[in-house]
Amino acid sequence: MSGGRQVTRRDALLYGGAAAGGLVAGGAAVAGIAAAVERRREQRPLEGAPIVARAVDGPLPVESPSDGAWRSARAVSVPLVPQQLVPPHLERAGVSEIAVRALTNGGELALLLEWEDASVEDLDGIGRYNDAVAVQLPARAGATPPPITMGAPGAPVHVLQWRATWQRDLDSDGRTGVDQIYPNVVHDVMPDDVLPPETAALYWVGRKAGNPLSQVGRRSPVEAVVAEGVGTITHLPKQAARGRGVHEGGRWRVGIGIPSARKGVGDALAPGTSWPVTFAVWLGSEENRGGRKHIASWQTLEIQGRA
Amino acid sequence: MGRVRNWQLGRDMEYPHAAERPQRQFTMIMDTNKCIACQSCTIACKSTWTWGKGQEYMLWNNIETKPFGFYPLGWDVNVLERLGEQEWDGDVYAGKTVFEAAAPGESVLGWTAEEEDWSHPNIGEDEPTGDAVETTHVPDRPHSLMWMYYLQRICNHCTYPACVAACPRDAIYKRPEDGIVLVDQARCRGYQECLTACPYKKTHFNLETRVSEKCIGCYPKLEQGLQTECTTSCIGRLRLTNYLSPPDQADPRKPADFLVHVRKIALPIYPQFGLEPNVYYIPPTHVPPEYLTQMFGPGVEEAIAMYETARNDPELLGLLLLFGSTERIIDTWDVRDGVARAYDEDGEEIVAVPLREPTFVRELTFTTQVEGRPVTGYRHNT
Repeated sequence: MSGGRQVTRRDALLYGGAAAGGLVAGGAAVAGIAAAVERRREQRPLEGAPIVARAVDGPLPVESPSDGAWRSARAVSVPLVPQQLVPPHLERAGVSEIAVRALTNGGELALLLEWEDASVEDLDGIGRYNDAVAVQLPARAGATPPPITMGAPGAPVHVLQWRATWQRDLDSDGRTGVDQIYPNVVHDVMPDDVLPPETAALYWVGRKAGNPLSQVGRRSPVEAVVAEGVGTITHLPKQAARGRGVHEGGRWRVGIGIPSARKGVGDALAPGTSWPVTFAVWLGSEENRGGRKHIASWQTLEIQGRA
Repeated sequence: MGRVRNWQLGRDMEYPHAAERPQRQFTMIMDTNKCIACQSCTIACKSTWTWGKGQEYMLWNNIETKPFGFYPLGWDVNVLERLGEQEWDGDVYAGKTVFEAAAPGESVLGWTAEEEDWSHPNIGEDEPTGDAVETTHVPDRPHSLMWMYYLQRICNHCTYPACVAACPRDAIYKRPEDGIVLVDQARCRGYQECLTACPYKKTHFNLETRVSEKCIGCYPKLEQGLQTECTTSCIGRLRLTNYLSPPDQADPRKPADFLVHVRKIALPIYPQFGLEPNVYYIPPTHVPPEYLTQMFGPGVEEAIAMYETARNDPELLGLLLLFGSTERIIDTWDVRDGVARAYDEDGEEIVAVPLREPTFVRELTFTTQVEGRPVTGYRHNT
């Protein structure tokens, strides 16, 4: 935006009136005022308050993170810190808070997670790491939450992770890889060009070995796993979580929904119950991956019953 | 952190896991002096294991020209620089390993190669260091003016692998039966911590399956008693796939034990990193010992002296001649009546190689008669 370049109306709309440096009058200024009014009208996120999953009727806007229906749930701001409890540590924080809203219709629990991230990292490559967010809940109800470090033996946690890469997979017919990372790539003969499919498949060993990360034709950008401590993530055989993430105005906005019953995972997230919940955020641009993440302390999630 | 014995350092050291040596340890011996960087090994490996989509940039085996060749760029100098100047006290390493020098919250002192760093596997190829003052022919050894040599690189299947130490999921493991280091393809979550940790930069990220992959020591061949693809495709016959014992269990009848522990002609690569790597190099005879000592640790000059007098050591010469003479893994060998013989684990002879090839020297001239008169002829190339 700097350096004397002609500022266009599109820039003004994308980056806001201030960044446009006053060169664009009229429309941009009006748009800026309108946005400010809109922000004021919206309640500021609460800090230190329980996250209340507001009971609503009908389908939840899980896959519409920008849907106005989310506004009926009060946003709670949760502070994030670099994970430095177990190696490998995240040395430096790249984001300081995540805003959380929750809705429930009795059958599904939906969370809207928002955090600042100026860039989109949605391809997995050599030294390229993806933007991601995760929700952690105890698998079982109880007075004491499991250790925040992804549970412990006998104290399992249920983790739902959304990755920008998986979102791009879904938005690109189910798969991204070499052709998207290097759009001008030219391939020599590949195994599947010359070998029978079952033999060629051996050259994608991770896929052949059944690794959930390696599969094509993904159906959801959210993976549900259970864990009993760091390094013990286990992919659930039945994947029931859904979600969608969009990047707008330097922020990720991600909806995640899970069936409240949590069959095969643990106790139901029933109306009228209260749960410890915590979050993790990864910034791909800051080489966040695995344990190199931003974490929050346990928060309280109150699931409203129907009035 | 636990205490483990690293015999290459002559001392115990810190390592995140308990000491557990495999039943036997895969090893490879490389005679750097014989390599011409034809990359037959690289192609053999590539066309066997890594020609799939997502593996384009991967070379589990590569040959690079030292000192200016690197795959990935700067792999060794980057670690050396981060580690800083360290000392050997005789045969005991007095410095810090990559485990001992790790920052708080890290298992290993590592660094991450960038995409571009992997993109030039032939960088520095055939590029010598030093000044070419008047001629490229340098008769003295080590070369005083200019030198280069070829370094053969595969995964070192380390006794104390940094990739294993850094993996937060225990998705990388050493096979107890042969010490080969493998990435569990079903368990890996693609964090790439192993790429950051391995100082030799011999783990890779598959762009399609999104998990790490690495040299598997051609274990399906090993299980059949066969040497690896890079070994058997080597036209310079400079490699030997074998098994190595720790020094206190060394058996002089076994090829690798003999070369590493008895004759001490083959040395580990960057032992100071502390991984106890299991690929051993016969150092190049023409390279200044200061450089070689940094790369191969103490004992470089003795190893070169041993190599240069191998012609007077039938047992050693015979074994060196058996390199590349058979696809099968050599269990023992002997030298009798000018012939080196290799045996398998049942004591059956695999191959026999003469210490000196039979030669026939043709006379340069010959005499015959032309039209009844004696004529002296000159033998052309017929």
